[in-house]
Amino acid sequence: MPSEPRDPTEPTLDELSAYLDHELDEDAKARVAQHVAGCAECQARLDGLRQASYAIRALPMETPTRTFTIPAKPRESFRWAPVAGWIGGVAAAILVIGLGVTQLHFPGPTASSTAGSGSKTTGGLAYGSGTQNGAAAPLAAPGVSSNDQRFNGQTSTASGNVATVTDPSNSSRRLVLDTDRASYATNGRMMVTVQLIGSPATSLNSGDQGLTLTLVHNGVGVALNPVGVESWNGTPIFGGWYDLASLRLSEPRLGDYHLEATWVIPDGSGRVLQASVPVKITA
Amino acid sequence: MDDRDLVGRARRGDPEAFTQLMMQYQVPLYNMALRMVGRPDDAADIAQEAFTRAWQKIRTLRDAPFKSWLFQIAANLCYDHFRRGRRYGEMPDEESSKVIGLGILTPDPQERAEASERNRLVRESIQALEPDMRLAIILRDVNGMAYDEIADVLRVPLGTVKSRIARARAQVQEHLQQYPDFFPSTREDAHAE
Repeated sequence: MPSEPRDPTEPTLDELSAYLDHELDEDAKARVAQHVAGCAECQARLDGLRQASYAIRALPMETPTRTFTIPAKPRESFRWAPVAGWIGGVAAAILVIGLGVTQLHFPGPTASSTAGSGSKTTGGLAYGSGTQNGAAAPLAAPGVSSNDQRFNGQTSTASGNVATVTDPSNSSRRLVLDTDRASYATNGRMMVTVQLIGSPATSLNSGDQGLTLTLVHNGVGVALNPVGVESWNGTPIFGGWYDLASLRLSEPRLGDYHLEATWVIPDGSGRVLQASVPVKITA
Repeated sequence: MDDRDLVGRARRGDPEAFTQLMMQYQVPLYNMALRMVGRPDDAADIAQEAFTRAWQKIRTLRDAPFKSWLFQIAANLCYDHFRRGRRYGEMPDEESSKVIGLGILTPDPQERAEASERNRLVRESIQALEPDMRLAIILRDVNGMAYDEIADVLRVPLGTVKSRIARARAQVQEHLQQYPDFFPSTREDAHAE
């Protein structure tokens, strides 16, 4: 494919590609549009570029297969660090950020095996008596009334233990996160529902949807496995019951947490919606 | 969520703020690395190292956007990976690393097989690109970055970004056209739009 035009009005390869991405100024955009409308060959080149671009965008967003960690910051990066002994105490400390461990295998009621080397099982997803085909305890489809309530949430609001975040570039796309309660005993079960309203994908695989769920306490996160439950009116719904006792929470386990749902919208835009609800674990 | 606020807190040593940033960028960053180097374990290594370096150096970040800076770190690590010659050019084996067993709805086996093959061919076409072009098209079509953001990450002029993306797409298209069963030629439909 030639990258230079054979006549002055024919767009270059670079221009055709940038036209697809809306990265041309108005004059160039109009010129390319006008030329392409009357030139079958350039239309075909443009379609070919578009096909390549769409094929790549259609690749599923994969979920990281392991837990990421950050070391404690070395003292030298804090010129104002006031305590001389601080560095030695924290240099070896590791802040374990339990992110992205979602591709877990659930062969049976004891959800503990993992996929991929280096992965750590951090989710403690419980199974209900209605479990079928190895699925996590399924949640019922949201009832009309409760669902309407959820759907009517506004941007970044939290009502009860529900948080709704609306995509600023598409008001019909929302991430809704809720738990059945705001406070649990250490051996309690937390029911979580995540609705991906207006998702461009129908998959109930959290990796395909770019969805992660993390319980965060004092800067340390533990990943929960968001299990696809069903598609309700076209909305992929994830959730499950999580046995808090089986989660690898750092000590002390009691205290204030927040549950974070992070959704990298699977449309290739790189936009991220994040919703958070407070969760308290008590004795 | 405003990166600047989180970056400001992270620069003052707040690990929770940095955690928020990690959660926000872990999937896009990992996917950038995955499409660059192909293997999930290597991609996770790169993402991990990028987060570690970003956390350790975040005080040096002034006015530059965190996202571009973080991806720049990861991009450099991808190039380091290539320079070391580790597994360069190997095809990823993502399908085998996936675990299926959640009992959730799944597409028809035939559809799954076709989708899997399509994805494999697309990944193969990306892997066949020269690394500079590969990175540009990944940042655009996987990560959805604007051209000026990509220019920031790559530290090259806008025209170079434009050119790399265009040439990469042309090469990917050329590769995919070898498989008309999966990627029918667009030429017959030249006037479709």
